[in-house]
This record gives sequence, C-alpha cells and structure tokens, in this order.
Amino acid sequence: MKHGFKVGDADYDIGLSRTADGYCLHLGSEHFAFQLRPAEAGGWILASGSEVDHLAIAVDGDQVHIHLDGETYQLRFEHALQRLAELNESSAADVIRSAMPGNLISLDVAVGDHVKQGQTLLMMESMKMETTIVAPRDGVVAELHVAPGQSFDKDALLLTLEAQPDD
Amino acid sequence: MKRIQSSLNTHSADFKANAAHNRRLAEEFKERQRAVRHDRPQRDIDRLRKQNKLTVRERIERLLDPGTPFLELSSLAANEMYDGGVPGAAVVTGIGIVSGREVVINAGDASVKGGAWYPITIKKIIRALDIAIENRLPVVHLCDSAGGFLPEQAGLFADKYFAGRIFRNQCILSKMGVQQVSVVLGHCTAGGAYVPGLSDYNVIVRGTGAIFLAGPPLVKAATGEEVSVEELGGCDMHTSVSGTADYPASNEDEAIAIARDIVAQFKTPRKTPIGWQEPEAPYYDPNELYGILPQEIKQQFDIREVIARLVDGSRFHEYQPQYGTTLICGYAHLWGYKIGIIGNNGVLFNDSALKGAHFIQLCNQNKVPIVFLQNITGYMVGREYERAGITKDGAKMIMAVTGCEVPKFTVMCHGSFGAGNYGMSGRAFDSRFLFTWPQHQISVMGAEQAANTLADVKVRQLARAGQQLSAAEIEAIRQPVLEEFQRKSSAYWSTSEIWDDGILDPVDTRNALGMALSAALNTPIKEPSYGVFRM
Amino acid sequence: MQSSTTSWPFDTVLVANRGEIAVRILRSIKALGLKGVVVYHAADAASPAVALADVAIEISGDTPVAAYLDGAQIINAALGSGAGAIHPGYGFLSENAEFARAVAAARLIFVGPTPEQIELMGDKVRARAFVEKAGFPVAPSAIEDDDPASFVERARQVALPILIKPAAGGGGKGMRVVRDPALLEQEIERARSEGLRYFGDGRLYVERYIENPRHIEVQVLGDAHGNVVHLFERECSVQRRFQKIIEETPSPALSPEQRQTICDTAAGIARSVNYRNAGTVEFIYGAGGEFYFLETNTRLQVEHPVTEQITGIDLAEQQLRIAAGETLPFSQADIQAQGHALEFRIYAEDAAAGFTPTTGPVLQWTPPTGPGVRLDSGIAQGQNISAAFDPMLAKLIITGANREQAIARADQALRELILLGCQTNIGFLRRVLNHPAFVSGQVHTGFLDAHPELAAGPELDHPSLLKLLATAALMTRPLRDAADAVPDMHAAMGAWRN
Repeated sequence: MKHGFKVGDADYDIGLSRTADGYCLHLGSEHFAFQLRPAEAGGWILASGSEVDHLAIAVDGDQVHIHLDGETYQLRFEHALQRLAELNESSAADVIRSAMPGNLISLDVAVGDHVKQGQTLLMMESMKMETTIVAPRDGVVAELHVAPGQSFDKDALLLTLEAQPDD
Repeated sequence: MKRIQSSLNTHSADFKANAAHNRRLAEEFKERQRAVRHDRPQRDIDRLRKQNKLTVRERIERLLDPGTPFLELSSLAANEMYDGGVPGAAVVTGIGIVSGREVVINAGDASVKGGAWYPITIKKIIRALDIAIENRLPVVHLCDSAGGFLPEQAGLFADKYFAGRIFRNQCILSKMGVQQVSVVLGHCTAGGAYVPGLSDYNVIVRGTGAIFLAGPPLVKAATGEEVSVEELGGCDMHTSVSGTADYPASNEDEAIAIARDIVAQFKTPRKTPIGWQEPEAPYYDPNELYGILPQEIKQQFDIREVIARLVDGSRFHEYQPQYGTTLICGYAHLWGYKIGIIGNNGVLFNDSALKGAHFIQLCNQNKVPIVFLQNITGYMVGREYERAGITKDGAKMIMAVTGCEVPKFTVMCHGSFGAGNYGMSGRAFDSRFLFTWPQHQISVMGAEQAANTLADVKVRQLARAGQQLSAAEIEAIRQPVLEEFQRKSSAYWSTSEIWDDGILDPVDTRNALGMALSAALNTPIKEPSYGVFRM
Repeated sequence: MQSSTTSWPFDTVLVANRGEIAVRILRSIKALGLKGVVVYHAADAASPAVALADVAIEISGDTPVAAYLDGAQIINAALGSGAGAIHPGYGFLSENAEFARAVAAARLIFVGPTPEQIELMGDKVRARAFVEKAGFPVAPSAIEDDDPASFVERARQVALPILIKPAAGGGGKGMRVVRDPALLEQEIERARSEGLRYFGDGRLYVERYIENPRHIEVQVLGDAHGNVVHLFERECSVQRRFQKIIEETPSPALSPEQRQTICDTAAGIARSVNYRNAGTVEFIYGAGGEFYFLETNTRLQVEHPVTEQITGIDLAEQQLRIAAGETLPFSQADIQAQGHALEFRIYAEDAAAGFTPTTGPVLQWTPPTGPGVRLDSGIAQGQNISAAFDPMLAKLIITGANREQAIARADQALRELILLGCQTNIGFLRRVLNHPAFVSGQVHTGFLDAHPELAAGPELDHPSLLKLLATAALMTRPLRDAADAVPDMHAAMGAWRN
C-alpha cells in the first residue's frame, strides 16, 4: 500500500523508510536516501549524498509547502486508505467541487431537477471572471451547498447529484 | 573484547578456489529461489490476473513497510518433492515489518495448484505458527487457498502435526494474547475457513474473497441448495450478516492497506532486555566467508574465521581458549545484541563437550542468547573415550542445550553428523531458528561411512552364504547407497523437508540472525532450571 | 525639499482601505505626526494595517468588499474617531466622485482630486474628448453614437489595424482587432452581437489598434493653488489579463527626448484640468515611438513606489500635504530622478492555472533583505488569505543604480522572499524577470500572452521532485510516524531479502 502526494496535477505513490543515518524515499523502483535537519539560521537543510539544499517548509494539515531554490511548491498528502477508498467510490462523479476559490453568481438548477450532461448548473466568479459549471453526467440534483453571493475556497463542495443506481 | 586476528590469506590459491566454488553454490541457490518464486505456468499467472489478483510476492511487498527487511522462511521447502511441482510448498512464510511491528506472514500462493494445501504446505504453515508462538509474533495471514489437496488427504488430516495443528496453533496464539489478522484474498474453504475464523481481525475483498465450510458445488451435492459464491460466503455477507469478517475491501490494495492499519493498532511489544550496544559492522568482510568454507565436507576450517565475519567489529571474547579446543565458545555482539557463540573446530572430545555444557550454563545464567555454528562430525568414538565417559559428557552437553532457557539459534555451516547434531542444538532441540548454508550436509553419519557400512553388511551376509563379491559388484552396491545418502543429506533435501528454516547465502547470515534475535526477544527469558546432569 | 511648518487642518486621518496600501498610507500619516485610523472588515482583523493604526474601526457588509465600499459607514467611522480627512488609497472608493462629495458634505477632507475632476477623468470618452480638445494626442477613433449612419465609413478612416470595442464594455470582453479591410463590416457585426450578449448594449466604438504597445504612464502632482508637476514616467507593460504585474521607472523604451515629451504632455493634461492631488496619466506607446492618451487615474497608483524610489518624494505625504492646502514644496526643476526602480506585485494566484486566485493561511512570511529592497506588504504570518479580496498581497520594490543592478537585486530578492501556505506568483515573476526580452527591455503588453511558458513554469525536474517528495513525506505525520515505528536494526537493514 502506498501513500501519495499530489504535486500540481500529478499523483505520486511514495513510501518513506528510515535508514541507518536518515530516511529514504521510495518512488516506484527508485530510492532517494536523505537527511533533513533544521538549519541554525532558520529553515531546513536537505542533504542527499554530496548535495545540500536549503529549504523553507510549512505544514498545514495535509498540505506541505516547500520553498526550494527560489520556487515554492505545494504537495498534498493523500493517505493510502483515503485514496483507495476514493478510488473505489463509485459515486465520485456525484460531487461537484470548485476548482478555484470564488463566489457563486447564480444557480441555474434546484434540488430535484433532472439535468443532462453538459447542462449549466451554476455560474461562479473568480478574479472577476465568470466560470460556468456544467453537469458531469445526467442525473438529479440532490443537494445544493452554496447560495448566490456566497464565497468559497478551492475544492469547496458546491452541488451533489443523486447517486446513480448500481449497474 | 578484542578483535579476532584473522589468519586468512585472501590471496592464496585455496581461498580463491573456495571462493569461486562457494560463490557458484550461492548463485545456484539464488537461481533455485528465483525459479521457485517466479517460474509458473503462464496459465496460472493469467488466471490470477483475470481474477484481479496480485501474486503472493506482490501482496507481501505491499504488506511490508517500505525499505524494511523480510526474512523468508524455508523458501525451498518441497523443492525435492513432487518433481518440484509444489514450489515453496505453495505458501510463503517469513518475518517482516508491518506498521513497525515484527510479524509472521503466512501467505498462500494461489499460483501453485490454486494454493491447495499439501502435507508439506501444512508443515510449513505449522512451523511458521510455531515461530509465532515461540517468539510471540503477531501473524498476518494472506489467505488464498483452494483447501486441502484431496489426493494427499491421508497425509494431511488426521495426525497431531497435520492440518488441525494450524488451527490449534492459532488458538494458542490467541490464548497467549498474540494477535492475528487474516486478509481474505481468495477462497477460504473447509479447513481454510478457520484461518480467518480463528483470527482476531478479518479483511475480505469484495468479489474475490470468500469464506465457507463448503463451496457452492459441495453445498449443491449435499443439500441440493443452489447458491452463489457471494451469497454463500462473500464479502458483504460476512461483513454485514454473519460477522465472520470485519472489514470489506474493494480490491487487494485496499484490503492490504486496511490490514496494515489494523496491525498499526497492535500494542508495541516490550522486548526482553538483554545485553546490547550500538551495532557495528564486522571488521572483516563477510564476503570472505566464501573463501573460508572448504569445497570438501571432510576438510576442516577455523570457525573463528567465520565468527569474525558475522559479529560486530569482528570482536570476540573467547572462553577457555586453551581447553577443549575443538569447541570454540565465547561472547560477541551481533547487530548490537550480546550473544554467546558455540562453534565446532573439530570432533567433540570429553573436554570440549564439558566446556560446551559449562558455557551453555553460563549463557543461561546470564540471559545471553546462544548461536550454534555447526560443523560437526560427532563425538569421538573409541575405547579410550568411552572409558573417559564420552557418552555421559556428550549427554551433559545435550542436557545443557535442551534445558537452557535462553533463545538458541543454529547455523548449519558445514557438516552435521551423528550425535554432535544434538549437542549443537539440532532441529529437535528447539532452536528458535535454524538456518543452513548451501554446501551443508546432514546425516546420522557421513555418506561415505554409511555406504561403506552398508556395503560391508551386504558383503558379510553374502560371505556367510559362501558368496564372494568382486570389487565391481561391491561398488555396485556401494554407489547407489552413496548417491541416495548424498542426496538425502544435502542442504536441498534438508530444506525441502523443512528440517531447517531455510538455506541462507552465507553473507546473509548476519542479517538473518539479527532478525531472528530481535524476534526472539519478544518472549521473556525464563529463570534457569535444569534436569539432572550425569556426573 | 519638504516644508515642515504645516499647520494641519486635521490631526487624524482615516484610511479607507486595506492591505498593503493601508499600511503604506498609515506609515506616512504617522511619520507626519498625525494619528492614523483604519477601517477594517472582520476578515482583516489580523492584518498588519489594523495592528499599525492608532485606531481601528470595524465595518461590516454583505461581503467583505461591500464593507469597504460602504461610504456612509466609513464617513461615520471618520466622524466617530475624530478624523478630519479620509485617504481612500486605490480601488474601492478612491475614484468615486459621489463618495468624495459625501466626504466634503460631512465637513471632512477627501485626500484626492475634486469630485468634478474624478468625474471628468473617470468617464473615458469624456476624458478623451477633453484631452483631444486640449490639443494632446489621442488614438484616432470613431464613436458610433456620434453618427451611427456613417460609423462604418468613419471606422475605415481610422486606418487599420483597428480595435472594435463595445461602448458599454470593459475587461476585454467583445473587443475585436481588425487587420483586413474586407472583414471590417463582418467584425463590427460580431462585436455588436457580443456587446449585446455581454452588456445588453450593441453600441460600439473603434480606435486605432497599436501593435505590441507599451503601457507608459506619468505620475503627476497638483496642489490647490494651480501648481502641477510630473514625477517622470513608469512603464507597466508586463501585464496579464490587463493587470500590471511588473512596473519600472525609467522606461527602457524612451529616449530622453521622448521622455521629456511624454512627461510634459502628461503635466499639460493635468494642468488643463487644474488637477489637484496625485494622479496618473496613462499612455499607450507604439513601437514607432507614437503615443496616445489612454486615461487618467485620479488616485495614488499601486505602482507609485517606483517613482518614490527614484525621486525621493513620499507621494502619500504629498497627498496629505496637498489635502491640507499646502503649496507644492518643489517646482518641476527641483525634481530629479536617480537610479532605476522595479516593482513586482506579489499575488496569491496560480500562474500555471490561468492566474486563478489561491487561498490559504500565511504559514511563513520571510521578506527579503539587502540593499535597494523595499517591501510594501499588507500581510503577516498567521493571517489567512481569502478569496474575498483582490489577490495582491504585497509589492516588492527594488532599486538599483541602474537597470542591470536593479534586475540582479530583484532576482536575489525574489529568491529570498518566501511565502508559504498560499500559492503565489513569486516564481513566475522571477521567470519573467530573467526572460531575455525583459532583461533587454523589449516587452509590450502582449508579452505574457506571447509567452505562456512563463506562466506554466518549467517542468519539475526529477531531482527536485525527489527532494520535494522526500521532504513532504518526512513532514507528514502518518509517513514519518510509520518510518520511525520501524525498529532501528530493521531500518538499518533496509529492504534486505534472503
């Protein structure tokens, strides 16, 4: 079983083990032995072999923020059990989440409405831009989680479709 | 504790010839392991894939913590049986790290006859569970077995150490408070159903996992009832109706992940405190072991050269260096653990037997586990030695070995012949683990002597009948006996029969002993108590 | 240069803004010995502006933004806190003539131009007509409303290429560029239908389209006594989605003569309306050296610090002094520029994902240090960046003796500037900074659109990926705990197999 990290849109299955003098990352068949220690001047020192990097690191729940060589990266931890459960969730397409923070401009459907794939469900605004959210499949609107004017964060739950009967 | 001063000449022709020989043996061993692990008829692999099943090796790799060791037990069990048709005895057992805990893994290999249990399969499982009992190791069962192999039922059902012993051992583990989790990845039919039935936690895979005393065909035959696998003993039935299984999983990955999370809930064992210091690699290169072991079973070598390539810093405190010099006794550290070592440097005489018995008692008093390094041709025979009481001196050593409470570990380094096997904690003497090196030979006496003895008996029988045999005729009697003896005294035969816990490439011995020691320390060491030593 | 003997008609100034600009203005207020009041919405309670202000007054609204747009509430806060003046900053109410009037009606001083100036300059068409009438250059154009019947003909006379815009439009919607005369009528019809669709108004106007234009603007200051000066230009050509992200002064595009012309033109435009307080005259500058009036911003600009850096003049202070009725303390000849300044707008946004705004807590905020580094920031560690406001977090202003030095310092400062917890455009800014076109000063407003690879960023190289995953893994409890749970000896053995 592997835990995972999401970096941008890419998913990586990884493992972490301890070694005699540090830790080792397992990525596929690759091994990356390293040591990580706090730097005296603040931040962290990542050492692997003869290579040494200075990092800034902050952890926020499952999100790890890393500043490496002038760039900042966000890695989202995905617990193996969580991932596997989600992978197996047949109703993944039932939930519509926001891809970016924003606020709701208008709702085009109501609970109980039958919707067709591609039909506009709602309009949101983010950074003065309007984005239309459409139905990922045919179905019935089960629940609305936002009201017009309401603002929300990335990945917020917007709308739920009724679960599909098992085929 | 001073470093052993090796007198090995690594540039000598002998060393090089030995090294080449033993490396070849090690390679041959690895190749046999590879074949046993991975060579399967394509149709068996295809069937697993079609069922969305992982191979047993893939399952184990997913179960283990990444970057941690796995000590596989008896990897070549059954390799000399059924024309090699039951590789590994259709089950993989071993000790590994799951969620930071040392556990015994018992994983059925469905790529071999659907994971059916042969008599030897059962022997291997029982041995794994005995190890769990002796070392108080939790067990993860990865269940995927078609059930007992019916044509062999007479060899697997009724006796004390047949199938029932598996379930008996599971109950004993439970009674001891050692936890078990079963991951039902295939069918657990009939007896196999009791493996999850007797486990503390059960995970079952929807679609492929099933538990029932009798499968649908048998049910139909018995009662006429027609029922599907899922209905009869599938994931949802057992997790929501019968309560036989606890956790449903959508696939093997999830099932194994859940099992890991279950093991993470187990208490972390408190280990028996014994002498320990920071581990140190051997000063002498363990690869030099290849150059130490001779090519002939009769050839002697200094066991201290072996010790120097197993223990921390190659440091060794030798006990009685001038007395009973055919038995080397002393203290060392291995992976940091303080151990006593008893190794053969020749035939056991009265003094060496007494020295051994004494040293075992010292270790037992001081709670020092003992590693036996066997290269023994037996106790000395002959009038002088019998008069000096070689039998009762050997008996003292056997009494000491049997009665000591500290964990014992045996490595069959080279020969193991006659009663010396007993005094050096052979299989019957409950070593927690017993490993074998590829060139090892074991028998009640040497193959040559046995062949000669048997030929001699025959010659004398015929002589009494007035017949005389030519040299060629004697050889014709001698040769098959010799060959049969050699085959059945080889390490491969030994390991096939599970007289050991597996053959080791000699360079792997240090790690194997380290893991064995660590496992053994889950069980408290009892206070010394002994039987009567014949004085 | 600066007069010191002011008798202030107010001793307290309310800042009707938030974020970095509120901090910026409060600093100048306090440096003048005045008291600073700030209004804030609850979402900003932990912001540095609230911490810096002598008095902070909470305001509310249906949305956080609505609170800052609620003029009545803000005026009440000013009256309640004894403030004599309101500084609107930029955005929000800064260019709202009604608000400026309401402030005056409440017998408070609005730190900015007169309501009439705001109105005139805020109406783009009126401002354009005014500027054109005053004899300053505007892009050739045709307004449909002037005479709908002749619109197409007049559009043709503007000379191609032209840009068709909906009269009611904004934000780039419905704009169409026409390069082929044969397509003119067809494109006009398309623009009309888009205008109808987006704004319910099909009226159009066209103007000369400047290919690869630069955005150059001039800072002006006028006092209530008819004195107007300019403080040189700023170039703001590096834009994404019509929003400036890197500004600098002096512009690398202008010769001394062109600079003189464009700055004098700007000052002239300001003088023609008797402009009071700080303002900015924006021009569009073509590759051939032609420039046209674009619009005037009747407020302090986001990018004002670059001007401050090279002139040594505190613009917010001058705004307050002008509002207090002071005469400008310097003449045009007194104002000298020295060195080169760059400004980088730090946004909470995901450049690779089309510059969508990002949110998150500020877990670590490490400003850069070193010579020539100024950071105007409105955030603090522990604060939460929400989607409620504009995603600009801070501005990094870098000054050097010349452009090369400024660029080198900027690169280092952007490397050192760390914000963890919320994705930002810092890496993107550094990629733009180091692009050969920027280094050589060859950018225009379409530069970023032409180089989408800058926003996308480089592919994460494998060695870095390993470092990131390794670090993240060790920083994540379930992974670290699991690794640490393995006994020492087994950990040291690694994945040994027998």
